[in-house]
Formats: sequence, C-alpha cells, structure tokens
Amino acid sequence: MDFGFLYHAFGTVMLNPMNFFFVFIGLTAGIMVGALPGLTATMGCALLIPFTFGLPPVQGLLMLLGIFCGGIYGGSISAILIRIPGTPSAAATLLDGYPLCQKGMGGKAIGMSTVASFMGGTTGALVMTFLSPQIARVGLRFGPPEFFALAIFGLGMIITISGRSLLKGIISCLFGLLITTIGFDPLSGVPRFTFGSRDLLGGVTFIPALIGLFGYAQVFRNIEKMQIVPAVKAKVENILPTLKEIRSVLKTIFKSALMGTFIGSIPGTGCDIAAFVAYGEAKRTSKHPEKFGTGILEGVAAPEAANNGATGGAMIPMLTLGVPGDAVTAVLLGALTLHGLQPGPLLFRDHLDVIYPIFAGMIMAQFILLIVGLSGAKFFAKTINIDRKILTPIIFFLCVVGSYAMRFSFFDVGVSMIIGIIAYFMEYYEYPASPILLALILGPMAEGNLRRSLIISRGDPLTFFKRPISATFIVMAIIIMITSYYRIKKAMEKEA
Amino acid sequence: MLKRADMKRADIGAGIGLIILGTWIFWYSDAYRKVVVYIYGPNFFPQILSTLMVLCGVTLVVRAMRGKALAKRDRIDRQGFVRTVIAIGICIGYLYLMQVIGFAMGTSVFLFVLMTFLGQQGLMKRVISSIVTSLAVWAMFRYFLVIPLPTGMFDFTF
Repeated sequence: MDFGFLYHAFGTVMLNPMNFFFVFIGLTAGIMVGALPGLTATMGCALLIPFTFGLPPVQGLLMLLGIFCGGIYGGSISAILIRIPGTPSAAATLLDGYPLCQKGMGGKAIGMSTVASFMGGTTGALVMTFLSPQIARVGLRFGPPEFFALAIFGLGMIITISGRSLLKGIISCLFGLLITTIGFDPLSGVPRFTFGSRDLLGGVTFIPALIGLFGYAQVFRNIEKMQIVPAVKAKVENILPTLKEIRSVLKTIFKSALMGTFIGSIPGTGCDIAAFVAYGEAKRTSKHPEKFGTGILEGVAAPEAANNGATGGAMIPMLTLGVPGDAVTAVLLGALTLHGLQPGPLLFRDHLDVIYPIFAGMIMAQFILLIVGLSGAKFFAKTINIDRKILTPIIFFLCVVGSYAMRFSFFDVGVSMIIGIIAYFMEYYEYPASPILLALILGPMAEGNLRRSLIISRGDPLTFFKRPISATFIVMAIIIMITSYYRIKKAMEKEA
Repeated sequence: MLKRADMKRADIGAGIGLIILGTWIFWYSDAYRKVVVYIYGPNFFPQILSTLMVLCGVTLVVRAMRGKALAKRDRIDRQGFVRTVIAIGICIGYLYLMQVIGFAMGTSVFLFVLMTFLGQQGLMKRVISSIVTSLAVWAMFRYFLVIPLPTGMFDFTF
C-alpha cells in the first residue's frame, strides 16, 4: 500500500469539482434506480455506461461507482416504505424496516439505513483500499493455470447461488461461454461462428449483451405484468437518528460491515447474501432476538451495513484478479475494459493513476451518500410514486440508446433485443441470467488460459493440480458445487 | 406453485434443443481444426462446451421424464405477453422511423405512442415527458458526449 499515491489521489479527486459532480449524479441516479421496484443496480449501471463513454476513465468510473453504492442503498427506501425491496439486497431490510414504518417510524428507519449504509460502505471501501494491492501482488505470480482455475471458481460460485436448479445454472453459464466464442479466436485469430457477418467478427459486444440481459428482459417483464406499485402513504419525517440510537447499534453495524465486506469479496456471492447472513447473525447474537421482525433499528442497520460493506468487498476480486464479485461488479469490469483498462494484477502495476483515484472516490462516495441520503430522503420516497406507464417507455428507450451508442450500430440494438427476449423467457423457466453475465466476462479468460496451460504443459491436464493455487481453486469449486447440489436438493424436497 | 407439467414439457423441449444445438456446434466447429496446426486450436473450447451442452440436455430430459422438473413459480400472462410483443413491434418501427425523421423526433413519437399504448391517460403528461426525455438525451449525446445519432432527412436540425 503506497500512502503517497493514496494521498495524491485524494487530492486529485477532491480538488476537481467535476469528480464530486459525477459521483453526486451517479449516487442520485443510483438511489432512484434502487428505490424503484423492478429496477436494479445492475440495470442502472448497464443503462448508464453509455453516458460515461465520452468521460475521462476516472470520472466515468466514479459515476458508475456512485450508481453502484446508491443503487444498493436505494433499495432499502422502498423496502421500508412499501414493503417491496427496490433491489434483492434490500430484501432483508424490509423484515424490520416495514414494521418500523407501520409504527410511524419510516423516516427514522430510512435515517438508520443511511447511517448504516455509510458506515458499512466506508468499511468496505477502506478494506478494499488497503487489501487490494496486497492481493494484486499475489496475483502477479499467477500463470495461465491459476487464471483458468480462478475463472472456473468464479463461474462455479455464481452457478451455485443463482436460481433453484444447479443444472439450469450450468446451462446458462454454457450459453454465456458459447456467446464469447463468437468472433475472432483470441489465440489464432480465426473467425468463429460469424456466418459471414462482418458485425460479428469482433464478437457479441459486451454492453449490448448486458443491456439485453438486464435491461430489455426487465422492460419486457414490466410491460407484461404492468404491476401497480403501491403508492407511498407513510410520512417520511424525523429522519436523523439520535446519537443514542446510533450508539446502540454501533457494534452490530461494524460486525455486519466486516462480515458483508468478507462475503462480498468471495467471487460470485454479492450484496443480497451478505445482507441475509448479517441479519441472521445480528439476530443470533442479540440479547433480544424475539424483537427482530417486529420493527427494531438493529434489524435495519445489520443488513444495510452488510450490503453496503459488500460493495467494497465485491470490488476486491474484480480489481485485483479480474474476477467480478457479483453481477454489478461484472458490469463495472466491462466499463473498465471499455475505458481501455484491463482489470487484474497488471492494473496495479501499470495504472496506479486510475486505481488510487478509484479507492479515494469510493471512500468519498460514502460521505456524499450520507449527505444525499439524509437530505434527499423525502424526494427519493416520492420517486417511488413515478407512474410506471411513463417510466417503462423511458427505460425501453434508454435500452435502445445504450445498445446503439457503443458502436453506433443498429445491428447491436437487434442483438441486444434478441438476448433480452431470450433472457425474458429464461427467467420464466428458471434459467438464471447472472451466470451468463459472468460467463461473458470470464469466458475469454477461461478459454485463453486453458489453451495456453495445455500448450505449455504439452497437453497434460494434471497441470491444473500440480500448482497449489490452481489446485485449491478447482478443488474449492468442486466442493462448493457438490455441497450446493445437496443443499438445493434438500430445499426442493422440502418445497415438494 | 404453478403446474409442474408445464415445466416438464419445457424441460424436455429445452433438453432436446440443447442436444441438437450441442451436436451441431461440435460438428460445425470441427472445421476450425483444419485451419491451424496446433491441437488446442479454435475448435477446442467450443467442442468442450458443446459436449457439456449435450450432457446437460440429456440430463434435463432424463430428469424431466423421471418427474423431477421444478414446479413453475410464475407463468406468462397471455394478455401481458401480447402487450409485450406489440411493444417490441413499436420499438422495431421506431428503429426504422429514427433513420428517416431523425433521433429526437423519432424518439418523441416512439415514447408518446408507447405511453399511449400502455394506457397513460394525461395527454399533456405524455407529450411533455416524451419531448423532454428525447431532447435531453439527444442534447447530452450530441453536445456533452459527442456521440453521433441518426439525423434522418432533417440533418440540418436533429
């Protein structure tokens, strides 16, 4: 960890008002997207990436980080006020948030959620700042077998946590990996599965595919269901928690924040798992577990500190090893690539001018979140009431613009829409979309390093088990797959 | 919980589709073997994936036949589905219209039509929100991000 660089980065980020502006815009947009049920942080980042094309990398990334942090926090607002989590990561928050709202303490619950999100987010950002360079240093020693094993581990993790069927998760993953084989072969330069189309020579572009998976698919579902979201009736007042209230949950917040950061840093997990685990742990270790679920501030603070802690945690494997912690960081990884930066250990060697401002910006974003969250709570609560019949066409239009803007290509719009239609049907038949996204990111890494490893070892498949790090990753992936198979089987038997 | 039989049929269909697709990919990518000299060529990874795909397809069919298909949690609403198909049709029309009358105008028309189709009542709300949104995004792309958008026949304006 080079404190000189960090100090300099803080100066660079803080002294440029445009950086504040982009973080502020990102956070505000993120909170609004998060607060609106049916729109997720992943979708928000996917739709807003095109708006960062013309920006310098640091400012573009700061805006996306703002959306990420804001989106995860924003989900709690609708969870508390209308009992519908704006994002999956806020599902645990409603358990105590909504009962608090019913007691007339909706404002207080939002205030506590903001403070816990700030503390959790700051903890995650600090851990990310201090731990990432160390992990990147280890990553510099990785060779092709380690990177292949890491990709398999990441894909294995996402398959096991998404959806009710392991088999369908694997099929989704294979579908995503197959998409990555379209276009020029990275090793030999031979065009594959292009069927004579020049548009496919460069492969299926990441952003249109991403918008298809998380933008169009969601828009189609929204149009089909045209759900009427209940209007916010509760008054949002007395938002600021007292010092006594904060002190009473401080221990829970820090424990949950660290737990969230750790869970978030495991590739393939994410903020929603972190929130539920932290809520469970807070309840288990509480002196009054019976009060959980009846509307207590501790029940709001624990999941919110954890899911925001997980944002920093999820950034660690993405930045240091090029393996995203969850779906949103997979989008951020794509954004880094678009700005000409390849996430992974080399980023810490070659692009310190970008890495340290990201660290500084992530920490700064938490402070802006605290200010924006507390001062704008009433406004964000009102955004939940935006008419879906106006909002859905606008999001539909943003999907079109987003998929077009990458290469100014209507072909990309078509590809994106087709992927969206496929993803729309896949959800109904329980094929999860997240493994496709991760496969799009990790596919080229897995293929290139698999083939390189085999060429170097002259075709010895045991090469992956002869090196301790790659062997560990592969064995861990196998163990996790087997245990989740039995876990899912047990859950299905219970369901039947 | 909704019908398990629906899912069974879907799983069998998807499984057979995967077997056919996997077999075709394996066969198709075999042609890449001849292009380069080394063993782990461009065909290697697609053939591994296609083999796994066939295995998954077979497993899916077998599990469905043995009655182990998941119970469906949600089903497609017929009326809603028709609405979605029409909305996609409107969007395809918009993509053509945009190239004729330009981005900003085409977008305003698209948003207005889609809002009307989805049942938004207030005329002024529809007009204002569609015009403001399209102009805001157009201005942002043209002046701030400097990304070219289709101008259509009115290239002197939008």
